[in-house]
Amino acid sequence: MSARTSVLASADEAVAAIPDGAVVGIGGAVTAAHPMALVRALARRGVRDLTVVAPTGGLDVDLLIAAGCVSTVVASYVGMEGAAGVAPVFRRAAQEGGVTVRDLDEAHCVAALRAAAQRLPFLPWRGGAGTAFPELNPELVEFQDPVAGETLIAVPALRLDFALIYAETADEFGNAQVEGTGNMDQLLGAAADRVVVQVDRVVGNDQIRRDPARTWFWRQTQVVRAPFGTHPYSNAWMVADGEHLAEYAAAGRAGEAELASYLRRYLEGAADHDAYLEEIGIRRISSLLI
Amino acid sequence: MAGHTIDELFAVLLARDIEAEDRSVQVGANMPMARAAAVMASLTSNPDLRLVLGLGINNLAGDRPPPAVHPFLFDPRSLVGEATMVQERVFDDAGRPDVFFVGGLQVDRRGNVNLFGIPDGEGGWKVRGPGGVALATMSTNCRGYYIVMPRHDPRTFVERVALITALGDRAERRRLGFPGGGPRLVLSPLGVFDFDQDGEMRIRSLHEGVSLDQVREATGFELVAPAEPVVTEPPTAAELSLLRERVDPEGTL
Repeated sequence: MSARTSVLASADEAVAAIPDGAVVGIGGAVTAAHPMALVRALARRGVRDLTVVAPTGGLDVDLLIAAGCVSTVVASYVGMEGAAGVAPVFRRAAQEGGVTVRDLDEAHCVAALRAAAQRLPFLPWRGGAGTAFPELNPELVEFQDPVAGETLIAVPALRLDFALIYAETADEFGNAQVEGTGNMDQLLGAAADRVVVQVDRVVGNDQIRRDPARTWFWRQTQVVRAPFGTHPYSNAWMVADGEHLAEYAAAGRAGEAELASYLRRYLEGAADHDAYLEEIGIRRISSLLI
Repeated sequence: MAGHTIDELFAVLLARDIEAEDRSVQVGANMPMARAAAVMASLTSNPDLRLVLGLGINNLAGDRPPPAVHPFLFDPRSLVGEATMVQERVFDDAGRPDVFFVGGLQVDRRGNVNLFGIPDGEGGWKVRGPGGVALATMSTNCRGYYIVMPRHDPRTFVERVALITALGDRAERRRLGFPGGGPRLVLSPLGVFDFDQDGEMRIRSLHEGVSLDQVREATGFELVAPAEPVVTEPPTAAELSLLRERVDPEGTL
């Protein structure tokens, strides 16, 4: 009998497959469960012209824009709840034309990803009819539904080349289990050709089998172990680092030298995730653990 | 217990207005005054009210004291209630949230809200907001929503919003067959506003010390106004003690 294939990879290996121009979904919601170690690895790689799909994004989107990786942002929210109303580099890039923003309602994100997962061209949605959405994002089309004749929005499928998501645990075969709500992440995975799951703990398949109802899996998955890798965002065992987010928000708002200094310290200067954690420091990480 | 902050006033006014038939309040953004209002309503007039904060459902009525009104979180500390849900569940049960709260960059005389930003007229932005979040969907479907404006000046209360994120215009909502009830009230630091039969914003009350001239000057359109507007009933001692002792003991508001 041949052995089952391990899908464990390092962050750098996993993001190395993401080419310029790829459509990349990033999981997490607001201050929780963004796969930041994968995002930082991607930003360090210097990939270009990404379309970033972040249903409720923040520093993940902002860092990738700051590193020059992004041409288009698809999102319902790019903010830094608590630290800044709008993610600062995103705001500047949107205002100065550095990135194209394709606005979606949070429910449009669900419809678009679901349509992709179900291999449909679009799914209908009512929210957004009568608003500026179709004007801001011409891919959203108002139409009269053929059943009841109502005015609805056709939300086109949003197929992802890659989904980068976070789960607390996974085994080496790509079975992932989240401890939190999971946000929109399972759906991001289903809409993607390839899924990279960043986890805090790689556990044995026997442990996954203790609670199979919680297991997520996709056709093509890689698992990357990066302890505390959602920092500065939260996971089930760690709260968000408000101080770090405020530090970033200040640097992002200032731009120029201050932003460059942040990026030098936490991105370019930290060759890998362990180096990043050393820069953050064990005392800070410890203070965030629940 | 003299004096109160504007957010305390907002919380009390919202709590008073939440209806007995409302079963589920969704607070989807960093609006501690909205959360406080829902907790107050659940402790007084509406014990069956579910408070959905982000993706956690906190049923706050009952024996346990409610948690303090802390900053908005999506982290483990916010998932302490009787149920949690994945993000898409919010929209798979689109008729569940009865009450929603809306902030915005601009509101207009028809009750439309703009959260997107101010376009520069050349395809770009003068001011770019964080995005529409779920405002369009929630405002389409929920029984009613409250528009809470932290500022009241001619740039925020405008004749016509630059971009519509939440369609409040009653005539347009009817034309499009929206299931939800539309905006119930607009709260600002100057007063409380609702909409008349034609869907025009009208003064319901002005806060203590605010004159009709003052609110007219601060508004970029002609408000429907009674000859002598009533004064907003200030928070009672009982409301303030409930708010400060049980709902917001840390004084976030």
